[in-house]
Amino acid sequence: MKNIIEIKDVSFQYKGSEEGLLNNVSLNIAQGETVLLCGASGSGKTTIIRLINGLIPHYYPGDYSGTVLVDGHDIKNTELYDLAGVVGTVFQNPRSQFFSVDTDGEIVFGPENIGLNPDEIRRRYNMVVNDMNLENLMGRSLFDLSGGEKQKIACGSVSALLPNVILLDEPSSNLDWKAIEDLRNEIIKWKSEGKTIVISEHRLWYLKDLLDRVIYMENGKIAGDYNGDEFFAFTDEKIRSLKLRPVKIEEKYIDKFSDISVGKTVQTDFDVYGDSIKLKNFYFTYKRRPYIIRKKKLSADDADILNLNMPELNLPKGSVIGVIGRNGTGKSTFLRCLCGLEKECTGEIIYRNKKYHGKELTNISYLVMQDVNHQLFTDSVEAEVMLSMKEKDTDKCNDILERLGLLEYRDKHPMALSGGQKQRVAIASAIAEGAKLLLFDEPTSGLDYSHMVKVAELLRELAASGSTVLVSTHDPELIELCCNHIIRIDDGKVISSDFCDCAMDLRIDKDYNLDNRLEEDNDNAV
Amino acid sequence: MKIKLDPRTKIYMIFVVSAIVMMSATTTFLWGLKILITMVPIVLLIAEKRYASALRFFALYISALILTFYFLSSESTGLIRALLTGYCGIIAQFLPAFITAWYVIHSTKIDEFMAAMQKMHVPDGITISLAVVMRFFPTIKEEYGSIRDAMKMRGVSLAGGNAAKMIEYRMIPLLFSCVNIGDELSAAAITRGLGGEVKRTSVVELKLHVFDWILILLFSIATVIFVLNKYILL
Repeated sequence: MKNIIEIKDVSFQYKGSEEGLLNNVSLNIAQGETVLLCGASGSGKTTIIRLINGLIPHYYPGDYSGTVLVDGHDIKNTELYDLAGVVGTVFQNPRSQFFSVDTDGEIVFGPENIGLNPDEIRRRYNMVVNDMNLENLMGRSLFDLSGGEKQKIACGSVSALLPNVILLDEPSSNLDWKAIEDLRNEIIKWKSEGKTIVISEHRLWYLKDLLDRVIYMENGKIAGDYNGDEFFAFTDEKIRSLKLRPVKIEEKYIDKFSDISVGKTVQTDFDVYGDSIKLKNFYFTYKRRPYIIRKKKLSADDADILNLNMPELNLPKGSVIGVIGRNGTGKSTFLRCLCGLEKECTGEIIYRNKKYHGKELTNISYLVMQDVNHQLFTDSVEAEVMLSMKEKDTDKCNDILERLGLLEYRDKHPMALSGGQKQRVAIASAIAEGAKLLLFDEPTSGLDYSHMVKVAELLRELAASGSTVLVSTHDPELIELCCNHIIRIDDGKVISSDFCDCAMDLRIDKDYNLDNRLEEDNDNAV
Repeated sequence: MKIKLDPRTKIYMIFVVSAIVMMSATTTFLWGLKILITMVPIVLLIAEKRYASALRFFALYISALILTFYFLSSESTGLIRALLTGYCGIIAQFLPAFITAWYVIHSTKIDEFMAAMQKMHVPDGITISLAVVMRFFPTIKEEYGSIRDAMKMRGVSLAGGNAAKMIEYRMIPLLFSCVNIGDELSAAAITRGLGGEVKRTSVVELKLHVFDWILILLFSIATVIFVLNKYILL
């Protein structure tokens, strides 16, 4: 069949950077193929995507040699706007890829740009809305949509341009299971229309049976070119040796994550685990009841409006607890309430016979946000940690930094560090503040396998040193790697929590301790 | 009742109201006209079903006016009165422009706005930059919210009372994330054909309706009266 994408002997290096170096890459993709690009972060997946959609060299300049032909266009000599109807791209971050503020405007944005006449645009709009079942999303503000819904709109707005080639750059990074399923259906649909699809992705399991080819990238080179079925038949060991996330998800997780059968609220007693952190009366709602003089405190009686409804929960101290559930069922609300960000929340935490509630919660718990950039304020790592201490204590600060393998970076600007290091700086400041309960909001979304393993090890290490770690996640791999317990939340209630005996062999090596691993991480970064 | 105004009328409203607030009202008639002009966006807000904000603006404006006229005068003495004179003066003077801008921003979709600018033959460069600014306000609000949360958690919201630090802690993360989002946003927009040489089209059909003409007339008359008063009659 005719090749629609031809990449010939391309080498590329971003301007002023050693990163994303492509080394003499050649790749042909035939019309109608569905191709996965996989490999570790920095292996050049995204660079390939950008070569095809023309962002390289037109938007991201650098040293460029070789040629790229897409559907007969020589990318280097074609302006980006002329490629709009040829190649469509769905990006990783649903937050930053829409231009309008409302859904209708977003779908017609592309066709308007290329100057189609209004009747044709309206026809395409209707077609996209029907084909992709977007009816109930129309006429809404994009800022009120969930990540999954935004990603659906992004797919729709790409479709409206009727491109022959569709690129997806880590599209599932910020999605929950339901949304990933929608995304899968979207891809099936495009495939049936005969589009050529190129997907760069870390999460692999949802692509099973969709792929014609799998391209494995390593250090800016194509290191493997497999047939789709052949790839998904690889053993776990083989996949792990390629440093990829698993291609299969164990049945028990599929059950836990996707099928949210309405279970009963389960009262769980973790008392058997000895020392525990007790949560009591965690009630919270976003819908406020009107009040005149005095606000009534929320209680279990307000069940109809509660977004968070947890009369009592004991968290075993010194363990890693996974928090799972669909998007919008209260995971984030739960974490926000726990660390005292929601003033209206009535909950209290009892730890070692001391009660914390309201603002005091910020002293005992700390949330490491998904976008960790939001919580780094100062101009050096050391200052960042000192900022959290009531009494400035350089020795203690150095201790903490050393434990997290950050000592040599203490004078660096936090924003100059790699993502993993930033995360550790945030953890360091939490420890400096004396937080006993560390909360993580999807710390591994968008990470490749080896970075995810590092996060998992760090979480276990934190738990081993006495902190209690709660981590909300959509990654079964992460749970398998580090969680001792799982809490499943639905509709603001804990519907089940159980012991998770799925400790995968982490190759725990006595000589290979945390310090070594962190050093290795530091070597890899920056 | 839903009143759908043409974005061009709205832009005209902003210009007129901003001009009028800069001119002082010297007679009762002029004050009356100014208040009338202020009531227009408030009524429009009610038509948009934004009752709470309409009520809030109305109450704020009226109380500032009442205080100015009945309780304060140029001879007011004492700290509180002095402060009140300042605040009420600012509110009575500038709130009309603020309400109008607030109404326009909250009731105009970006594509309507862009269509209007195209109709007025404004170059695409200007239209797109303005559209990006409008697109960015909610983003900044979201980002700022997360940063404020992070500060609360760290207990550095007040930065120990150091005002410079207070601003620094907010601005640095905000700038970083806005720059990142802006970069990703432009990459996404140009892959969908923004900035091409072909003339952009628009599915939004704009037409000036009766209501638009009434408002344009009203605002034009008000402008004429104010200008006559200020530069010709006096």
